[in-house]
Amino acid sequence: MLKIENIDQTDHVVLQLSGEIDASNSVDLDEAIQDILQKGAKKILVDASRLEYISSAGLGVFMSYLEEFEEKDIRIVIYGLLEKVHQVFVILGLDKLITIKNNQQDALEAML
Amino acid sequence: MLKLLSPNIGKVSFLIAILAWLALLFVDITRIFGMMTQIESGVRPEVSYILQVVFFIMVYIFYNSSIIKNEQNEFLHLIWRGASTGLLALAISLLIRGFYGLMGDSRLAIDPLLRNFFYHVNFALTSLFLISCTLLWKRLILYQKTKTVVQQWQAFEILLLISMFFVFFNQNTLDYSFLFGLVFITVFSISLSINLKWVPYLTFKEKWKSILFFFIILISSTYLFIQVLSYSDVDQIPVNLTDNLLLIGLFAFVFIYSLFSFLVTLFNLPTSSVFEQKLVEAINFQRLSQSIKPGENENQVLDILIDSSMSASYADAGWLETSNDQGELTFLQERFIDKETLEQVLDLLSKSKPYQQGNALKMEEGSKAVQTKITHSIYKSALVAPLIVNQKLIGRLVLVKEVKEGFNKEMLSIISTFVGQACISVENYRLLNEAIKNERYKEELEIAQRVQESLLPDILHHDESFEISGFSAAADEVGGDYYETKQLDEHTFALIIGDVSGKGTSAAFNMSQMKGVFHSLVQTHPRPKEFMILANNALSACLEKNHFITTSYYFIQTDTKSITYSRAGHCPTLYYNHQKDETVYLSIDGMGLGMLRNKLYEKYVHEKAFQFGSGDVMVLITDGIVEAKDGNGIEFGYDRLREVVHENVNLDSREIQDTVIREVYKFIGKNKIADDDYSLMVVKFK
Repeated sequence: MLKIENIDQTDHVVLQLSGEIDASNSVDLDEAIQDILQKGAKKILVDASRLEYISSAGLGVFMSYLEEFEEKDIRIVIYGLLEKVHQVFVILGLDKLITIKNNQQDALEAML
Repeated sequence: MLKLLSPNIGKVSFLIAILAWLALLFVDITRIFGMMTQIESGVRPEVSYILQVVFFIMVYIFYNSSIIKNEQNEFLHLIWRGASTGLLALAISLLIRGFYGLMGDSRLAIDPLLRNFFYHVNFALTSLFLISCTLLWKRLILYQKTKTVVQQWQAFEILLLISMFFVFFNQNTLDYSFLFGLVFITVFSISLSINLKWVPYLTFKEKWKSILFFFIILISSTYLFIQVLSYSDVDQIPVNLTDNLLLIGLFAFVFIYSLFSFLVTLFNLPTSSVFEQKLVEAINFQRLSQSIKPGENENQVLDILIDSSMSASYADAGWLETSNDQGELTFLQERFIDKETLEQVLDLLSKSKPYQQGNALKMEEGSKAVQTKITHSIYKSALVAPLIVNQKLIGRLVLVKEVKEGFNKEMLSIISTFVGQACISVENYRLLNEAIKNERYKEELEIAQRVQESLLPDILHHDESFEISGFSAAADEVGGDYYETKQLDEHTFALIIGDVSGKGTSAAFNMSQMKGVFHSLVQTHPRPKEFMILANNALSACLEKNHFITTSYYFIQTDTKSITYSRAGHCPTLYYNHQKDETVYLSIDGMGLGMLRNKLYEKYVHEKAFQFGSGDVMVLITDGIVEAKDGNGIEFGYDRLREVVHENVNLDSREIQDTVIREVYKFIGKNKIADDDYSLMVVKFK
């Protein structure tokens, strides 16, 4: 089950993902990102440490926002990916387009 | 023969009854003449008794046939027949009495013949009244009969028959045996008189009428009884016909049953509205449960729901609101309440607990009506029942009353039942509509499935230097996996395997686009990297922005034994090197098609080449294979696949393919449905 939690920090938003993201609930992820964009956040941290699986549909959601992020100068960093999930990002080549870090500390530094 | 006779039974018995009565009269007149002329007429009293018995039996048969003829008689009609007969007997008896009052002491008044005639008239009318009432009461007693009641009644009839012949033993005198018989009949009458099941079925008005009729019957029977008693002491009557055990016993029975009915009906009056209400509720329930026919509107059910709920709870006002997905309220049925008041009450209600509880989506509990107190200027109590269809709150039924605590437990429970039933009706209606729609979708999907199957290749191009086989299975009716081959010239072959993001119909559409792109580009014999860049350009213009396609593209040249390949985000290909006897995944970077939709893409796609040798095996897969999960959620994985392939590299391509598929199915377990599309293509070099 997907659980999206969005914790507002001082200068950035943390989006927590847990469980599985597949075709059936990728819409929720899309809504969560849209929410964040509406709030006008410029820095998005995605905590994926509890994300167990992400399907192509879920990856498609991230991909679809890349252009918009670039236009609006929004930084997005994903951190804490499990090895298995990280592999999916790498195989697809999405790691070239989104910054991926090991932990929150690294992610925060990458934001600066 | 019988059919011809049966309609005449009534008439025949009536005729015989009159003849018997006339005979009785004649016999008595003969006796009186005998007495007057001091000549013994020699007619024994038994003759009168026999005639009396014949008279009784004929009257019984006559009434029996006449009541059976009017089978559909209602209760009230039956009682009225009894009452009217009683009234007739009473009226004639009073007339006779009046006649004697007028006569005074004239000669006519003491004429024994006339007196005797009137005695017989009264006797006949009393008998008619009693026997007709008995038969009418029989109908009432045997309403909703059980076996015991029927047996009881039959015993009673036998008892009456015996009492009819009792006259031959005691000559119609009031001795002890007579009293004994009377007590016996009385007790029996009382035990029969508790069968009053017909009473609740009368409406309020009918009950009043029946009370009046019973009153008439009680008065008539009392008067007639007193009259019969008065005859006991009169000596002008040569043979007493009226001190008969049957007649007196019937008096007891008719009187007791009438009294019971009278009292029970009387005491049922205040509760009759409750019974009527329950009947209405039962009918409403039935109306609610009749599912809506296709083409009709759900509102019809909701209309019945609010009407029946309001009548069941005597609510002063109420409404039905439905909320859509956005939480906007629509008021469907507003009863006895204006918009302004409604909004006031709603405002008060929305703060109350039961109203919010509905929002908390406690669906397991189902639709349960809850009472709540409100502090409105007019309305003091409210009832809220959530309408839950398909585990979703679709709206609420709200009823209000001007009194505090206006809804009792029974009302809450009956309204809960109504609401539950209405919701089931609505749900059934929606399911039916959905089923019809789904049926149509299914047909469309079957067509799509056939179309897509034709998109996958029937033959895979190859020459004598390698063999090839392919397999694809979709999780849904249609899928997003794709593989194909193309022979570019005598020694050059192009192989492609691809996976479209997402699954189902949208994936299938994109897969057909990929096929189009492949067939267009492959004609220009592009190098694998070139192919990816061009395909990315083409697909960037076609794909929705959250969709992408991963592919691996292989260029096999059998004359130079070289393979050139490029990967675009697709899961790596497994390669068995026969010479080294090792199985590895071919590593190369490459981004999925449609992920980066500009010139920069070129930077992220690469190309590699290597030489193949005899006995080498190449297994091209889609991620469905490595991501296939067993019952515990563990993935089949790249390592397991490698082991399976490595152990079976000596088989031919088709056998390797079958082995892999078998192993995957074995791994996920037989009963589990695959939740992703999976395909593979196996190439074995000779």
